[in-house]
Amino acid sequence: MSKTSKTIDKSLTLKKDAQGRFSGNARFLRIAGFPLLVLVSVLVCIALGSVPVSFSKTASILWGAIKGQIFTGDVEATIILTVRVPRVLSVLLAGAALSLCGAAMQGLLRNPLADGATLGVSSGASLGAMLAILLGVSLPGVPLAGSAAFAVLFAFLSLVMVLSLAFALDRSLATSTIILIGVIYTMFIGSLMSLLIAFSGTKLRSITFWTLGSLSGTNYTDVLFLLVTLVLCGGVLLNQSRELDVFAIGEENAHNVGVSVRRVKLTVMVFVSVLIGVTVSVGGTIAFVGLVIPHIVRFIVGPSHKRLLPSSMILGGVFLLYCDLLARTILSPIELPLGVVTSLIGAAFFIVILARSRRKAA
Amino acid sequence: MLRVQNLGVAYKEYEAVRDVNFALCPGEWLMLVGPNGAGKSTIIKAVSQSLKYKGEVTLDGQDISKLHARQLAKKMAVLQQSHAVGYAFTVEQLVRFGRYAYKSAFSRVDTQGERLVEEAIDVCGLSRIRHQNVLILSGGELQRAFLAQAFAQDAPLLLLDEPASHLDMAYQQTLFELVETWRRHDKRSVLSVVHDVQMARRYGTHALLLKDGRVTASGAVDDVFTREKLQTVYGMDVNAWLSWLHAPWLDGQTGTHSV
Amino acid sequence: MKSSRFLALALALMMALSLTAFAEGDGLIIKDMTGKEVTITKEIKRIVILQPADCEILYAIGAGDLLVGRGEYCNYPEEVLQVPSVQSGFETNFEQIIALNPDLVILTKMGQTEDDSKKLEEAGIIAITSDAQSISDVYTAIDMIGKITGKTDEADQLIASMKQSFEDITKKAEGKEGSSVYFEVSPLEYGLWAAGTGTFMDEIAAMLGLKNAFEDLTGWQSVSEEQVLARDPDYIVTTAMYFGDGQTPVEEVMGRPNWSDIKAVKNNQVFNADSDAITRPGPRLVDAAEAFYTFVYESQQEADKAA
Repeated sequence: MSKTSKTIDKSLTLKKDAQGRFSGNARFLRIAGFPLLVLVSVLVCIALGSVPVSFSKTASILWGAIKGQIFTGDVEATIILTVRVPRVLSVLLAGAALSLCGAAMQGLLRNPLADGATLGVSSGASLGAMLAILLGVSLPGVPLAGSAAFAVLFAFLSLVMVLSLAFALDRSLATSTIILIGVIYTMFIGSLMSLLIAFSGTKLRSITFWTLGSLSGTNYTDVLFLLVTLVLCGGVLLNQSRELDVFAIGEENAHNVGVSVRRVKLTVMVFVSVLIGVTVSVGGTIAFVGLVIPHIVRFIVGPSHKRLLPSSMILGGVFLLYCDLLARTILSPIELPLGVVTSLIGAAFFIVILARSRRKAA
Repeated sequence: MLRVQNLGVAYKEYEAVRDVNFALCPGEWLMLVGPNGAGKSTIIKAVSQSLKYKGEVTLDGQDISKLHARQLAKKMAVLQQSHAVGYAFTVEQLVRFGRYAYKSAFSRVDTQGERLVEEAIDVCGLSRIRHQNVLILSGGELQRAFLAQAFAQDAPLLLLDEPASHLDMAYQQTLFELVETWRRHDKRSVLSVVHDVQMARRYGTHALLLKDGRVTASGAVDDVFTREKLQTVYGMDVNAWLSWLHAPWLDGQTGTHSV
Repeated sequence: MKSSRFLALALALMMALSLTAFAEGDGLIIKDMTGKEVTITKEIKRIVILQPADCEILYAIGAGDLLVGRGEYCNYPEEVLQVPSVQSGFETNFEQIIALNPDLVILTKMGQTEDDSKKLEEAGIIAITSDAQSISDVYTAIDMIGKITGKTDEADQLIASMKQSFEDITKKAEGKEGSSVYFEVSPLEYGLWAAGTGTFMDEIAAMLGLKNAFEDLTGWQSVSEEQVLARDPDYIVTTAMYFGDGQTPVEEVMGRPNWSDIKAVKNNQVFNADSDAITRPGPRLVDAAEAFYTFVYESQQEADKAA
């Protein structure tokens, strides 16, 4: 053993740290590319919409707004500043939140198919939000607080319920068992939701909103709400990167190298529930983002959560931006539910990824 | 020094282990030996705090059930029988997981750790495959990677739970030799479950013979592995069986013996 | 003189025939709104109706006493609520319907399938399907229900009066064309939906000389908020229902912060239509049209007078 006491070149270790197929590109992407990608995408999605507004007009409206100019009676300015900007921002934040949750849960459960939608967390959150609306639960002066609180609570309970059911049936928590239970649970909650809608008359949004999601009609309050939640919960989840990495070797091994397994599990589950609950109460269930994005990102930056989590947030936000752009423009002036677009694109993406990984394994 | 007193583990009604007592001093390698279902792996899991137990496990006089996972990991590393890794981490990343307990949110740089990681990779012969994806490693390579992880953990005590039972002979030998060198190097101690009585005898300094969750004999290996004691535990003449297994093959090789 | 006598005789004969038609056994042939021909050979005494509008027609022609079962959403006129309800729509409960022992059931093309009517026919029940997509279709439906119940005169009167009312509205609105209207059938909070062409709202708008702001769409469609802002309608009609607490639907539309520049909002021209009256293919379309006419023109005249 003593023969190996060689000095380690620090710079060499750093380079090795960024090992991986796309390491060079990924590094560049992270430092310069990602912020640029987000900025450009946000601007593109603000400039494009079902009502055509020229790029230069958009730019001058945005620049004017930043300088504090007030536009009165300018329809294009109203559209850009009160419809598109809040919507684009909430889409970006929702995409980031959902992808982060997907990545964190996939890490925690060592299950590449885990996601708010596949585990039934999103439908649980929808049910909670619907109940809050029906029961009239609200905090005076704080819009959304009542339904969001119920959504978060139900999201967490659903997660606990699905995982304990899966654990009771299959101690090893095999990938397929969890997903199967999640799907069954989602169907069960779906029928409860239909029942609630049937009994509630017109007080609730349609089932389409809750099961397919939409961020149309979002305002700056929603943006602020999503932003605060994402900053708080995102911060906590990003801080669990190393723990999530170690979870890859199994819970018992993770414990043996010093991870407080129960604490990490509880933390991730609670904060994922909060993020999903809040996102669902604003935009309904937007499927496939949390599932597909971490997959693609893992392909680019590798499995380490220190990179996977933030990169998933960024790419997830950008992905959802373009999905929403399609949802609002492709059949203009008709709007599609966002979930329809994400599912269409997400499913196609997913099949390609699966096929590629199969071919590689063969 | 690891001391286990009145250890008992029950799975619902079934008592897997009861009244187990032993001590493990620095520099010793204690072998837990016994037939299937004797409770060997259960003892390892209890000591590593992976399951609930009665009795007391102390390390240098400190009750380890009161230790935080991080503190425990600095004192004790565990190598399990088999592993399933969730994602395509590299061998190097896997080894570095062993340093988890030493890094905190405030001290991310672990220079000492990087040296230990490099050493562990080198010692375990992983240099060539250090950037390889762990999902495509062979069983033996993966087990060596996990051993390197345990070495990187730099703990004075190593627990092994049948670490070589599904490896071929060459890998078994490498693994035991690596652990042996590691133990001798810094007077560290090893507690292990080993199926093969001969391996236990070759590498252990001490042994604990178990049957039905109870200790039937303990002490230095030579005192424990006697014909009579093994016979009571296994219900067969182990020495005779082993010599019968080896005799004709040895004969053929030397070519001197004739019947 | 001679001719009038002949006419009276002919009329009397026809009435007698129509009264005895069922007894004679040669049957009354009814063509329903899917084009299916049904022969009715006995007097219809027990009817089940699944669609609210058909229920309203039945009561409007004075045949409400024949109703023995109604679809769960039938809620007008108030007496109808005393009639046992059955589940309608995609989960139509045929056991419930058959248990009510009706002679005839009126289904809708939107809610039930051809197989559903076959199911009823196998149980010996006459199945008629209604499918009114326009105001002229509503007349067809009234005529059909009138024939089934033997209330042809009442049906003719109802049709005539509806036609008259719509004509009056059209006439009154002549020369007032040019303004646009946006029909909001789902509020912003739930995602905007607008009514395009091929809807009763669109027909009513045409009578009033208003241009539907979403005439490029067919039926009800989900639309972008920015489209409404860009199209800047003179009138907004919301069909949202008011439950008696919180903002009224009109207040809600007027209160949308970024809608304040829309002409309709600026000039306080947001109207809360009775959702049932304006969406159901029944006689109350007249009420809906008149109410909207009053809002658009008469309150305007008052405002003009005041100014």
